[in-house]
Amino acid sequence: MPPIDSEDQELLDGFLAETTELLGKLDEDLITLEKASDDTELMNRIFRSIHTIKGVSSFLGFDLLVKVTHKTEDVLNRLRKGELAVNPEIMDVILEATSLVKLLVSDIKAGTIQEREIDGTINKLIPYLLDNSGVTRQAATAAAPTPNSAPAPAPTHAPIPAPAPAPKPASDLVPKKVPAPPKPVEGKGGDDLSDNSTVRVDVKRLDDLMNQVGELVLERNRMIQINQDLQQNDVQRPDFNEEFGKLTKRVGLVTSELQMQVFKMRMIPVEKVFKKFPRIVRSMARDLGKEVELQIIGEETELDRSVVDEIGDPLIHLIRNAMDHGLETPDVRLAAGKPRGGTLILSAVHEGNQIIISIKDDGNGINTDQVGRKAIEKGLITEDQFAGMSQREIFDLLFLPGFSTKDKATDLSGRGVGMDVVKTNIKKLSGLIEIKSTKGLGSEFILRLPLTLAIIQSLLVEVEGEIYSIPLSSVLEALRVDQRQFHQISGQEVLKLRDFVLPLIRLQKFFNVLPRGEIDNLCFVVVVGAAEKRMGLVVTRLVGQQEVAIKSLGNYLAHIPGIAGSTVLGDGRVALIIDPVALSEVCE
Amino acid sequence: MQNALVPVKSENTHGGFIQLVSFNLDQEEYGVDVLKVCEIIRMPDVTRVPNAPHYVEGVINLRGKVVPIICMRKKFGLIATENDKQTRIMVMNMGEELMGFIVDAVSEVIRISSSEIQPAPAMVAGGVAHECIAGVINQAERLLVLLTLEKMFSHDEKNLFNGM
Repeated sequence: MPPIDSEDQELLDGFLAETTELLGKLDEDLITLEKASDDTELMNRIFRSIHTIKGVSSFLGFDLLVKVTHKTEDVLNRLRKGELAVNPEIMDVILEATSLVKLLVSDIKAGTIQEREIDGTINKLIPYLLDNSGVTRQAATAAAPTPNSAPAPAPTHAPIPAPAPAPKPASDLVPKKVPAPPKPVEGKGGDDLSDNSTVRVDVKRLDDLMNQVGELVLERNRMIQINQDLQQNDVQRPDFNEEFGKLTKRVGLVTSELQMQVFKMRMIPVEKVFKKFPRIVRSMARDLGKEVELQIIGEETELDRSVVDEIGDPLIHLIRNAMDHGLETPDVRLAAGKPRGGTLILSAVHEGNQIIISIKDDGNGINTDQVGRKAIEKGLITEDQFAGMSQREIFDLLFLPGFSTKDKATDLSGRGVGMDVVKTNIKKLSGLIEIKSTKGLGSEFILRLPLTLAIIQSLLVEVEGEIYSIPLSSVLEALRVDQRQFHQISGQEVLKLRDFVLPLIRLQKFFNVLPRGEIDNLCFVVVVGAAEKRMGLVVTRLVGQQEVAIKSLGNYLAHIPGIAGSTVLGDGRVALIIDPVALSEVCE
Repeated sequence: MQNALVPVKSENTHGGFIQLVSFNLDQEEYGVDVLKVCEIIRMPDVTRVPNAPHYVEGVINLRGKVVPIICMRKKFGLIATENDKQTRIMVMNMGEELMGFIVDAVSEVIRISSSEIQPAPAMVAGGVAHECIAGVINQAERLLVLLTLEKMFSHDEKNLFNGM
């Protein structure tokens, strides 16, 4: 195996970018192929992808990659010619081979080429190349346990002296499943492929951007001119007012367009995350013995890269939950009078400056009794508390760390970390989670996320003379209330808001702002939501809504409780941005 | 103390000379390495940061950058005074970030030979944080305390910041 030659770096970068793209598409295509095996166009596309990868990697001298892709290509070729029929077993092997390819590619990307065990996978492909197309599983499994039949080349250039012998994907098909160490490694290799360090930008968008910048330069020149005229007293006062007013408007216009352009460039379709789910769903469905159809809606919805990077994990957990807890096995479904196969709908849609992602299944819904009993068992709540809980409050129990309705942890779920991960990640993005569930009919998890994390819409509020900014994405409503309507429940001030009892936080007390004398009974309550929680922030006055750019407070002040960052207001002053999530935690 | 001097010598010496910005704080004169000072500004509007340590005056907007401001008098346990016409903020480069320090007045940039730097006396009065004193310069007319402000925040304090 030749070490990667840095002179070919450019070539290599091109190869990696192309391969990553092809592999991403490949997974999706393969899953589709399993359902529509007679789609020749699709078949050809898959074949071409593998063929391209093989060609380029042989040119660059990645031998292992060539070996794997070559055999895969051969099998695909037979499928294409109709010599073999698509069946789940073949697909398993091909998917395994693509996983291996991903792993090898991520090795190359990391710059540390390792000797990987590839013969196991190749041996599983070989039976499908023999003339007797009847050869199936038995042959494959028989071939698999002899992975070392072909002597692996001596590790001449292995930088890491392979601590654990590289994952043996072979174990996947061996009847008795080894509790999967290979799997996570493979999965990781695959994830690493999603490279976010470079961006591809549409040339048109770049041109537009250049135009905007040009405009901005013109406006700046105009501004310099006006300033000069003013210095030399060339302009009459009314004249100047008008000129300056016009200039301000134009600069405002250009700036907001520029902002939009740059914003758009940072946007990528959510498809980037969604496209790995069909495969996950397929393999889980097979493992669990369930029949599931995954429908993806709105994968072209765009959102900021920073958000896209963060939502992958929570979505996987939610999908796992839906597959494992929500959807039933075919027998149970038939008995309940539902179609054999379950449906899982993953959808993304824009709403204002938020994106709403929903994961909906038509399984048996959340069993509130079971959830409640578990919570009592674990000592999280008492019987009495449970009796008085609303459905919503019971759903909230799901997010407690360590909570699981399963008695035994399995590979898939039951350790009680999943929903906690979901909550933490969504909070980090200052998003909201909502659960809807009807017993017997299915559940829906709705995530509301901001489109971007760099510039946000915010509500400016005044607390006894100090201005604070609250991210509008977490603001649900704002009300003007007489303080005499507040109630006290064991020292905690609350407000009865319709049918909901809202805990209140007085920002003036929390931030130690000195009161400014006159006491006014009327104040404003800003109702904010953080993940699944709701609370009211008591402020003196609402100032207005403004789009603000988030600025960090630096390392020294990064951990001030309840403060997420800062922003610069129109008058040049700094305003602090409130972090409702942290506030709710501090006040607990 | 000897150790603290080494970096100053090695990175800012021209034939054994170093340049210092000198400033006043409660009638004493202090000096910091000129290369660490980004700019010196008058007091702008400072936004208070709630629940921060008491010596954090707040944050300011320095041409679009948000910079934390430390009150040196409070940090060093001196009596706080009203800001006057002489009050300045020294914006310093602290590792990767900028930080502003409020001082009574900034006087001049002086050039001294590094051999003039003496280790600080074991007992330093006035409550000035001991760990950031790199040495003293004893010239005929003046006594100047040389500070390394990076050392102003002890590890414990940094953790306190981070742990809050």
